[in-house]
Amino acid sequence: MRIVPFPRHDDESVEQAWLIELESALNGDADGPAADSWRELRDDVRALAPPIAPDFEQRLRAQIAARGVRRWVPRLRVRPPARPAIAAIACVLCAALVALVVVAPWRSAQGSREATAQSGQVDELGTSGPITSSPSAAAGSPVAKHRAAEQVSPSASTAVGSSSSESSSAEPSSNAPAFAPGRVQQLGASVTLAVAPTDVQQTADRVSRLVVHDGGFVQSSHVQVQQGSAGEANLMLKLPSEKLNAALASLEQIAPVREESQSLQDITNTYNAARQRLSDVEAERRALLHALADATTEGQIDSLRERLAQSRNALGGAHSALAAVSRRASTAEVEVSVIGNAHAPSEGLTLHRGLHDAGRVLTLVLVVLLIAATVLIPLALVLLALVLAGRAWRRHRREQALDTQ
Amino acid sequence: MSTAFDDSAFDVLFRECASDVHAYAISLLGDRSAAEDVTALAFERVYRSRARLDRGRGTPRAWLFAVARNAALDELRRRRRNPNFDLDEDRWGDLRSEEELEQVERRATVRDALACLPLRERELVLLKFHGQLSNSELGRALGISESNAGTRLHRVLTHLREHCLELDQKEVA
Repeated sequence: MRIVPFPRHDDESVEQAWLIELESALNGDADGPAADSWRELRDDVRALAPPIAPDFEQRLRAQIAARGVRRWVPRLRVRPPARPAIAAIACVLCAALVALVVVAPWRSAQGSREATAQSGQVDELGTSGPITSSPSAAAGSPVAKHRAAEQVSPSASTAVGSSSSESSSAEPSSNAPAFAPGRVQQLGASVTLAVAPTDVQQTADRVSRLVVHDGGFVQSSHVQVQQGSAGEANLMLKLPSEKLNAALASLEQIAPVREESQSLQDITNTYNAARQRLSDVEAERRALLHALADATTEGQIDSLRERLAQSRNALGGAHSALAAVSRRASTAEVEVSVIGNAHAPSEGLTLHRGLHDAGRVLTLVLVVLLIAATVLIPLALVLLALVLAGRAWRRHRREQALDTQ
Repeated sequence: MSTAFDDSAFDVLFRECASDVHAYAISLLGDRSAAEDVTALAFERVYRSRARLDRGRGTPRAWLFAVARNAALDELRRRRRNPNFDLDEDRWGDLRSEEELEQVERRATVRDALACLPLRERELVLLKFHGQLSNSELGRALGISESNAGTRLHRVLTHLREHCLELDQKEVA
């Protein structure tokens, strides 16, 4: 068998040996004519360059000695170097802004959810599912639109009806607010605030102002303040259902919440029945009017007119019933109890509240960081790719300058 | 707390390398004012970014020459001008000995041989001899591997030697 050596191997060996010899010669480690020849060539090449101008060297040296090299203004029009730090800071700010924009709506919902969770009580709701409706979902749902079309005034009293298929709950709520699409629901809540005995009246006033501000009203109020003993106030509030969560969150800001519960009653069947009843009465009235138009005898006409009068009354009743059910759906009932507690500080700065607030802040910070990371990481990758591509392009352009000859 | 590359180190670098950087730039650009600009710019950039110097990746001298090379190439590209290599022949006007005459002739041959090289090859020779860089430093400055730099250097110096021989033979003939 004949062994054929790979030709490049020898070439590489020769080249390596040549380079080692060159390096040794240039470093002064090798002697002999060949090494002298390399050193001579190097010295000749170096000697070809004109020496540095003394005045230039002196000026540059003086500037460097004064640490003023940064102020050196060369005649070249040099583009200022890119500052990746500025770009990175801009990216971070943009990401934080985006994160805040994304988080802001979430935060209010989160606040109300947590306020509900603070009661620490959980219940089961049977067939009606989660018991609270988020304001945004309620406002955008078909039922809410229908409510708006009905133009129901929130000033009427709530008449809670019952139906065989209706499910109701007066127990404390869980912390999973949700809105069942296509359902008509009546919301309610009960909140107990603990304040200092001297702050009962003031807190009751603040609650009253809050509910008016939210578009509701105080249906009933009872404030009992006695000198030297714990006072108490009970308020029954009515306010638009879509404002319930916001109002509960605001109540939490007024004073520490000792207890909180929310209830939901599904009144879809009642609502549908009222609508059906209205449709039936309207259909009956139309039929009677047709019959009256076709009546020929005096007896028929009298009889039909009497039935029409009854139908008119029935129509009014059906309208009223539907409006009442709609009002129940659009109005939430909130029972607020303000209890004067000698152990409750007036500003509500308890350890529990402090821990709760700290937890909320930490959660918020984590969410902001998470969202910022989701924005920043792709941005950073794109930026990195751009920087690398820019460097490669710049190097390519520079190398091209050597090919102009 | 002293940095890895503090002001005193920068002073040393300037004293040792200023003339070499200038020589490299003027040999490449063939223009004294442009060479001065490039030299000043290189030292300015090195001073500004001295905190980022990684000594594990090369000497400050190699770093300085890499910066100077970039500045010089930017200048070449900006001016779109071929460098003039007729450098200061008057310096050798006042000669006395035979040895000096021989040196002048030899350097003239080297100058002509360098002028025969393409700009890319000539730049490699200048970077090697003025910068006194090792092959790894040369490769880093050129953005290529050490072995690739060695191969290029071998080829270029071989060409330079061949040109020198050719010119010598022409002169003898």
